[in-house]
Amino acid sequence: MKLSPRFKYEIAKEFGGENLKLCFACGICTASCPIREIDEKYNPRRIIRMVLLGMKQRVLNSDFIWLCSSCYACTERCPQGVRFTEVMNAIKNLAVKEGYIHPAFAQQLHILRQFGRLYEIDEFDNNKRIAFGLPKVEKTKGFTKKIIEIAGLNNIIPRREDDKNV
Amino acid sequence: MMDVGRHPNIKLLTCSQVESISGYVGNFHVRVHKKARYVVESECTACNDCVEVCPVIIPDEYQQGLSSRKAIYIPFPQAVPSAYLIDMNNCLGTNPIACGKCAEKCDKKCIDYDMKDEIIEFDVGTVIVATGMDVFDPTPLDEYGYGTYENVITSMEFERLLSAGGPSDGHFIRPTDRRKPKTVGFIQCVGSRCEQRGQPYCSNICCMNTIKDTLLLKDHYPDIEAKVFYIDMRAFGKGFEDLFKRSKEAGVQYIRGIPGEIIEDSKTRNLKILVEDTTANKMEEHEFEMMVLSVGVTPRLDMPEVQKLLTLSKTPDGFFMEAHPKLKPVDAPTSGVFFAGCAEAPKDVKDSVTQASAAAARAETLLAAGKVKLEAITSELNADLCRFCTICAQACPYKAITVDPKKKTISYIEALCKGCGTCGAECRFSAIKMKHFTDEQIVSQIDTYLEEDSYDKVIIFACNWCSYAGADTCGGARLQYPPSSRLIRTMCSGRVDEKFVLHAFRKGAPMVVVSGCHYVDCHYIDANRWTQKRVEKLWDKLERLGIRPERLLLEWISAAEGRRFAQTMQDIEELRKKVTKEEIEHTIKILTEEEEKERQKQEKLKK
Repeated sequence: MKLSPRFKYEIAKEFGGENLKLCFACGICTASCPIREIDEKYNPRRIIRMVLLGMKQRVLNSDFIWLCSSCYACTERCPQGVRFTEVMNAIKNLAVKEGYIHPAFAQQLHILRQFGRLYEIDEFDNNKRIAFGLPKVEKTKGFTKKIIEIAGLNNIIPRREDDKNV
Repeated sequence: MMDVGRHPNIKLLTCSQVESISGYVGNFHVRVHKKARYVVESECTACNDCVEVCPVIIPDEYQQGLSSRKAIYIPFPQAVPSAYLIDMNNCLGTNPIACGKCAEKCDKKCIDYDMKDEIIEFDVGTVIVATGMDVFDPTPLDEYGYGTYENVITSMEFERLLSAGGPSDGHFIRPTDRRKPKTVGFIQCVGSRCEQRGQPYCSNICCMNTIKDTLLLKDHYPDIEAKVFYIDMRAFGKGFEDLFKRSKEAGVQYIRGIPGEIIEDSKTRNLKILVEDTTANKMEEHEFEMMVLSVGVTPRLDMPEVQKLLTLSKTPDGFFMEAHPKLKPVDAPTSGVFFAGCAEAPKDVKDSVTQASAAAARAETLLAAGKVKLEAITSELNADLCRFCTICAQACPYKAITVDPKKKTISYIEALCKGCGTCGAECRFSAIKMKHFTDEQIVSQIDTYLEEDSYDKVIIFACNWCSYAGADTCGGARLQYPPSSRLIRTMCSGRVDEKFVLHAFRKGAPMVVVSGCHYVDCHYIDANRWTQKRVEKLWDKLERLGIRPERLLLEWISAAEGRRFAQTMQDIEELRKKVTKEEIEHTIKILTEEEEKERQKQEKLKK
């Protein structure tokens, strides 16, 4: 396996990654992690070790980096001030930039492109809103499209065939 | 402790607080507030009659609140002097109608409710600061539930529970049901090595304390199962590793990993934890009947008061700063003041005794000689030129100068001066002369350096302790740095007067560098803060005059940083090359005009 010794610096440069190199592997993050309780694959301490060892391909290519639920328990308890939730965000951002993206997120973008929002607001919800004196929610595809365009997501995750049809 | 009480040459003042210390090495004047004990110390025989009748029951601080004491008490069995004292905050009152039972009972009639606080004043030659430390309070770490779960205790409480003189008479019981637990877990580094919610340093004593605790536990009750959760076991001292080995051989399990949180079973009151054994990459669940948090130590809360008494300074960890971390580890930066024990850093018993012996010897050396040799590099005050602006008194890190602007008086204790020269640099009226580092000496060094080809010279002001030594390290290591550097040594970067920098620029220096010890490592307590302030002011001034402020640099370089010195000099050389001859000539013109203006202003003032 090819190692990238600069990988830890790349992550340390990102917001929240500053203290990454201070980790002394006490394991309180893993012991606090609710995801680890249900999924053996996810281990914050191990992810940090992998980053520090420069296992870039393995980390960015893996399924587990998408599992963090951002509960901040690890960030709260880390004695060395490693903001692991933010480290995870940095890793995820880098993964997307390098073209590794989890199919679930690609699917979400697909839905966004189609409907302009992730959860469809149907007639039933809209009637409820009107009853509360709130305006109706329309399909706001154009607006979301613009955001996707500005964020440059179209270059990273190309449109699918069926995106264009709607 | 008893020996101290009995020693003919030691006067012990208990229940006392030092109110003020004035003077200097060999001549300290101390004012002590001795609080009333309400019991005549010399008469009391510690017969316990008064304690038996006292109706007030309050938590015992010495027993960590695990048992109770009376309002009249002895703090702990070995306390010196062995006499009772009344805790007046809790005593039912001096009014004999309200209570007065202890006074009635005392056969020797040594209880005196009318005793008053006293002020004691005396002179001493040297002072040893041995104010100790506090223990970290783990209540804010809510994941461990200390204070919520009764069976979670601190290592201090554990110590009391296992002690023969403790609240349970040495029977190890858990607080909820008062029976012997079958399993005990220890968590290390609670409040230590924790950047966010504790102390960033390693508390030094907790690993060995836990090892000792587990051995005691196994010794008393071999059937109790003990597990220790740690990050790193630091068994670094003489015989420590052996103790660690013995603990492991006794069956104590050491698991590398810190539990995420403690969860109490509401029925059994047992404690469950989830932990990752990081050496095996394996999640484990453990259940304990009792958990011990191995808490770290913190600086005492009342340290700022002691600090003010003796103008001491603190290291970033909050403990007192020694004069030199390696070569003067027991001396305070103020002469005649020494440290012993945890006031200076967390220490175990052996280290505390070692340091205390060293401090006693250091203090004794001064007293035996009866005289103190001072460095010849002190400052010299010319009261005729002084305008009583007080800036020197503010700048002096040792409070050697006191100025009263109203009465127009200035007093200076030369014995306190260490010769940093910050006062001399701050004084706008040339009223302070620094011996061996006079203005004339430094100015003539600048003149000589810049006499020829000034445009390819860089003037560097380096402080004696760090930057100049850093340059030495650089040379000693045969590291290459550009030949343009011209070093001028001062005792402290605080000595670098504004006028030296401007003079160097006026004489055609393309670059001027002021360098000193790293911000918190100043060898003159905090004199380099004044350097920073002054250089910041100078940057503004240069900008106002139309001179690029980038040409004046402020660098912190320590004695060990030879490589950094070489690198900094190379970087500066690059900057120097960008300064053109025209720019230098322009600067000379501006500053000469400025000097002329200043001279005229001075003349006007004189008239």
